[in-house]
Amino acid sequence: MKALLAILCLACATLARAADVLYLYNWNNYISEATAERFERWCGCRLKQDYYSDNEEMLAKLEAGATGYDLLVPTGNAVQTLIRKKELRPLDRQALPHLSNIDPGYLNAWYDPGNQYSVPYATTVTLLGYNADRLRELGLPTDSWALIFEPAYLAKLKGRVTVLNSPRELFGAALRYLGHSVQDTDPAHWHAARDLILRAKPYWATFSNSTYIKDLAIGNIWVAHGYSNDMFRAREDAKAAGRPFAIGFTIPKEGAVLAVDNLVIHRGSRRPDLAHRFIEFMLDGDNAADISNLIGAGNPNAAAIPHIRPALAGEAAIFPPPAERTRLEMLRDLEPRQRRLLSRLWTEIKVR
Amino acid sequence: MKKPGIWLWSAALATYGLLYLPLAVVVLFSFNDSELNAAWQGFTLAWYRHLFGDRAMLQAAANSLFIAVVASSVATVLGTMAGLAMHRWRPRLLPFLVLTPVAMPEILLGVSLLLFFRQVLDLTLGLISILVAHITFSIGFVAIIVRARLAGMDDSLFEAARDLGATPWRTFTRITLPLTLPAIVAGFLMSFTLSIDDFVITFFVAGVGVTTLPLQIYSMIKVAVTPEVNAISTLLMALTLSLIVLAARVAPETLRGSR
Amino acid sequence: MRAPSFATRAPERLTRWLVTLPPAAFLIVFFLLPALIMAAASWREPGEFGGLAPLADNGWTLEAYRFVFADTIYAWILLKSFTVAGLTTLLCLLFAYPLALLIARSPRRQRDRLVLLVILPFASNLLVRVYAWIMILGPANLLYSPLAVLVGMVYVHLPFMILPLYTNLEKHDPALLEAAQDLGAGSWTRFRRITWPLSLPGVLSGAALVFIPVLGMFAIPELLGGTGDLLIGNLIKEQFLDNRDWPLGATLSLLLTGAVLIVAGLSAALARRLGSSR
Repeated sequence: MKALLAILCLACATLARAADVLYLYNWNNYISEATAERFERWCGCRLKQDYYSDNEEMLAKLEAGATGYDLLVPTGNAVQTLIRKKELRPLDRQALPHLSNIDPGYLNAWYDPGNQYSVPYATTVTLLGYNADRLRELGLPTDSWALIFEPAYLAKLKGRVTVLNSPRELFGAALRYLGHSVQDTDPAHWHAARDLILRAKPYWATFSNSTYIKDLAIGNIWVAHGYSNDMFRAREDAKAAGRPFAIGFTIPKEGAVLAVDNLVIHRGSRRPDLAHRFIEFMLDGDNAADISNLIGAGNPNAAAIPHIRPALAGEAAIFPPPAERTRLEMLRDLEPRQRRLLSRLWTEIKVR
Repeated sequence: MKKPGIWLWSAALATYGLLYLPLAVVVLFSFNDSELNAAWQGFTLAWYRHLFGDRAMLQAAANSLFIAVVASSVATVLGTMAGLAMHRWRPRLLPFLVLTPVAMPEILLGVSLLLFFRQVLDLTLGLISILVAHITFSIGFVAIIVRARLAGMDDSLFEAARDLGATPWRTFTRITLPLTLPAIVAGFLMSFTLSIDDFVITFFVAGVGVTTLPLQIYSMIKVAVTPEVNAISTLLMALTLSLIVLAARVAPETLRGSR
Repeated sequence: MRAPSFATRAPERLTRWLVTLPPAAFLIVFFLLPALIMAAASWREPGEFGGLAPLADNGWTLEAYRFVFADTIYAWILLKSFTVAGLTTLLCLLFAYPLALLIARSPRRQRDRLVLLVILPFASNLLVRVYAWIMILGPANLLYSPLAVLVGMVYVHLPFMILPLYTNLEKHDPALLEAAQDLGAGSWTRFRRITWPLSLPGVLSGAALVFIPVLGMFAIPELLGGTGDLLIGNLIKEQFLDNRDWPLGATLSLLLTGAVLIVAGLSAALARRLGSSR
């Protein structure tokens, strides 16, 4: 009985304080605790976070009628979808005086011309992370998707490779390896990609969106298909734990998927004022620098660059130089028919 | 009755062991002093303390309890009516409506309610959708228990009351209700248990703002497994266990479950 | 059973409507109607960004069905689900029978206690029961495999087999077995010729109560199985919560419903035949 009362009181308390709470729906590991706490102090409010590991997951939840979130962090193609579905609230420029901090190269993107709804937050590249020492021993190349697709190489890595549990990402990698664009929707090319994947699958350990960070850092997995910021974290973890190997990560020479993640305000946001304050907070060069220094993500904020650790700023996989950038592509959203075909191909890949 | 032989006893005991061993493991390891929870590293109550400081978990618990109370109450009223109706008038459609949600795979119920709420009612998923879903599948359970109780009763009581000129309402309040009360209470307790424990249907109709204990446990299992999962599981088990024991005491029909 | 004159009296009829209507109305609106909506959704186009496309613009289509039947993969997964359901049912029967027999043959007072002991594990949440096996199979390196899925399925559904079986077994007349023993029949013969045939309706009940839910399960394969251990339930969940392709999800759900109806129909027909041959 007392426990019941306690729970009820807590529920009431939570409701009472709902006024000064900002709900952020973000990727896993995409904002550090330090930054979040600093924001809470600066704004005098509370930040509540919920996490997703895939744009699809976030979009599916919103499709189910979610209205509890103020801020979302969708990738470009998801921003486009959300804008077309009229799910986003236009930004109030007056509340964002430091929008000019963003590198002009990232503004006016194809998914939100004029930045009416979104502000770039961070960038990542989907690439290969690997146990540098092991691969050197085995004499394997580290700069090509062949590492996860060619049986000749995979034979030496059997059971030590993981790939992302995301159809768009895995097909993106396969398509680039086969010489096509990640946005290619030709069914024939997709079938070829599926065959390529099925040929390599027996050598892979599993499909994983997040556990590969730990597995790489511990040494269970030697090659992982994943996000650049996760690989950065794996490298730091391995170093901190004093492992006898180093984790490396490179963008494969055939090209890769670039993701620009943006802060957007949901149409149903109950505290758009707090949401704007968060965006303004993250536009500050110092705060934005955390995204790179602490998370290892690329940074679209020009004012943050001076605050970024030099070693990091020179990291080609996180801050790709212009020459590299020509080989990077952003994913665009698919049409329903294409999504359906992809889902069947993905089922085949999982089951066969 | 032929007394069960040693062979039967051992086979049965083995099955009982199989039933309880996994749960015992869960309970035991809730006291494990190790974050990874892979091997036993010492006794601690820290995870239970951690549980009570976990706001998300407490919110989920509050939601679960609230939903269970409201949903069971409504389901008990509707289910008792259904059980009464099925016993007295043997309608043809009602048993189908009442019993099918109980027998079919939960995912179908969850999915069809998701479609219904979003497409037809354009309702944001949340407390209401969960309540409606829980009531829908609980009605059948209450009805089964009430009907079983009525089937075991002597109908001549009702006929006698009618012969003496009692209106249906008086018959209900003076005879039916008192005699079926144990079954009604048991039905309430069973619905309560089902509601607190439900995962599959809630998973589809919960939406974003509202989370329940099973949904919390699910995300904990998928994201990070620590003994905290064991702790909340143990507490949940203790609660539902006591409710079922209570229901069985009040009305043994609960354990028969007619088919 | 009931004197017909009661049913025609006005207050009686009014009562009948007052009592039958509320639950019936609730279930028609929140169970039957959604089921029909689900069927209708399978004939709609997928929405451009997910969900369903507006009816006015796109109309009805059989595209989802054409898609499902154009490839063998979905049929194969349905077949796999049937296999898992069948194996689970058999294993449950194997484990449940001795226990049910023991309960049925125990003295009356002990029986209720023994039944309670069977139901108590059932009181725990599905996820807790699955999590228990994650804890046990993980260290043994047996996790994320078809075996783990099977273990989970059997464990979760065992009580559903025990209860109907025991309810049936307890009604057997001990005199039959005594007579058989007097006539010289051994215990195996007694079981084979008397107990087992008499228990068939209970077996059938329990089998249906296990087979049908297992067909629709997704949580167990998702948490205990490997990436390839998808069943039809996982596919359905994926369509609604990951792919946003509701028409395809609805179509697969209808397939599952059809499968369930066939199984239920078969089991009812079998039960009738068993009942009539008594």
